[in-house]
Amino acid sequence: MRTGLGSQLAALIGLLVLWEVGVRVFGVAPHNMPTASAVFRDMAGNMDLIGRGVVRTLSETIIGFVIGATIGFVFGSAFAVSRTLERLLFPLFIVSQAIPVIAFGALVVMWLGNDIWSKVAIAAYLTAFPVTVNTCRGMQAVDPQRVALLRSFGAGPWALFWRLRVPYALPSIAAALKLGISLGLIGAIVGEWFGDTVGLGIMLLQAMYNENLPRMWALILVCGAIGILLYAAFEAIERRWIWWKQEI
Amino acid sequence: MDGPADSAAPPMLQLTNLSKTFDSGHGRLVALERIGIEIGCGEFVTVVGPSGCGKSTLFNILAGLAEPDTGAKILYNGEPRMAPELLGKVAFMPQRDLLLPWRRVVDNAILPLQVEGIPRAEALKRAQPLFVEFGLSGFERHYPQQLSGGMRQRVALMRTFLFERDLTLLDEPFGALDALTRSLMQRWLLDIWQRHQRTILFITHDVDEAIFLGDRVLVMTARPGRIKLVLDVPLARPRPPEMLTSPEFIALKRQVLAAIEEESIKSFQQVAEG
Ligand SMILES: Nc1ncnc2c1ncn2[C@@H]1O[C@H](COP(=O)(O)OP(=O)(O)OP(=O)(O)O)[C@@H](O)[C@H]1O
Ligand SMILES: [Mg+2]
Repeated sequence: MRTGLGSQLAALIGLLVLWEVGVRVFGVAPHNMPTASAVFRDMAGNMDLIGRGVVRTLSETIIGFVIGATIGFVFGSAFAVSRTLERLLFPLFIVSQAIPVIAFGALVVMWLGNDIWSKVAIAAYLTAFPVTVNTCRGMQAVDPQRVALLRSFGAGPWALFWRLRVPYALPSIAAALKLGISLGLIGAIVGEWFGDTVGLGIMLLQAMYNENLPRMWALILVCGAIGILLYAAFEAIERRWIWWKQEI
Repeated sequence: MDGPADSAAPPMLQLTNLSKTFDSGHGRLVALERIGIEIGCGEFVTVVGPSGCGKSTLFNILAGLAEPDTGAKILYNGEPRMAPELLGKVAFMPQRDLLLPWRRVVDNAILPLQVEGIPRAEALKRAQPLFVEFGLSGFERHYPQQLSGGMRQRVALMRTFLFERDLTLLDEPFGALDALTRSLMQRWLLDIWQRHQRTILFITHDVDEAIFLGDRVLVMTARPGRIKLVLDVPLARPRPPEMLTSPEFIALKRQVLAAIEEESIKSFQQVAEG
């Protein structure tokens, strides 16, 4: 674990050094690729501006993720329990996913206003789909013999759901949550492109218009760091709490 | 010791005319045909029969998980019961241990109590004294994946025993164990049974096991499953392992084997015919 982290850190530093040296040695023009040091200088000089963007985008991502995951869990469970509901609504879910969010991002902003909630909605929308699918599939895969055993103990639908279906589906739900948090971050960043004043997404657009390459790279690095940290957090939770396999 | 089969007491379980037909895509399959049995309070009854003769099907019906054909009568403690009414009334241990991998040994054992609505602390208190008896002390906090086959089976048995019901159904509980572990478990089960005074119906493929454990042995016919032979086992208890080679034991075994042999041949022919 420690050595893994150490070598990863070393690789990262090596990469940054390579970047710095490469840009200098080959004389790449600054408007094509800034040096790593220029990027970090920009980052250091604009800490509170970037910090505000991080807080905003992270809030959108997390609130959207929580809402989307909840919606996904509720619908996924409902589909798993009721065949009719699944036949009725599941195709709708799939069709809705075939339309790229970008296509109706503008609409969401018009409906929900140009503040945090339109971005939260887009993040939630992206998170909900994988969570719905995996919750449903995970619960449907439950072993019928174990269902029979619990029923022989006198378990009703409620006890079956919480004591068997939910824990049985957790590994597949956890996989969806990891995907969902990454999609939520994308949703939040892209959501800001439809117009806002704070957030990493809108800062990226501003950097593009101003051809401020160091800023752009600073933001890319920050976005990447957030994505990796969020994913790693879920990975850690999964390892610690949801280690069992579905096929038993 | 009071005799288990007190003739004055009403039977704990009485089945009359119990049949079960499965309607599948390609025709009807009669799994059980006109089964009639009576089981006394505190009795240990073993069931043997060729594979596929409907033993597990019978248990599923008694546990309330499947409906028998119309016309069947099930009297449980003297009261007529429809199949679903038996859910939660019978302690049922299926052929596989079916432990839940996310629950520790203790939590697997108390699962039926929690389903009943008993708080965890209270359930743990009831389970505590059984760990030594079931050879699981020190393993309370292990997960099922960390146990051997024999131990997993004991956890499943403990779960079944903690679910205190008038009737206990055990479907081949030792089927997957090696001969040595199996004979240890048999003696251990008799011990537990005598101490806890339960009524047990026990499925097995092993004729020695059926006679060694049972007050009575039921032999079933090949499909459709009927009761072919009901054999009383008048061997004294406690039964020492040497009993397996005694002449009385051998004589009983000969009778059971003869009945099974006939049925196994029939069941083999059924399979050959398709
Ligand atoms: N749900 C079902 N639908 C259709 N047929 C079934 C079903 N359950 C069992 N059967 C059939 O009923 C017959 C009896 O099955 P059962 O599992 O009760 O046999 P068994 O005596 O327990 O066999 P074994 O000793 O191998 O466990 C078999 O032929 C089986 O294929
Ligand atoms: Mg069986």
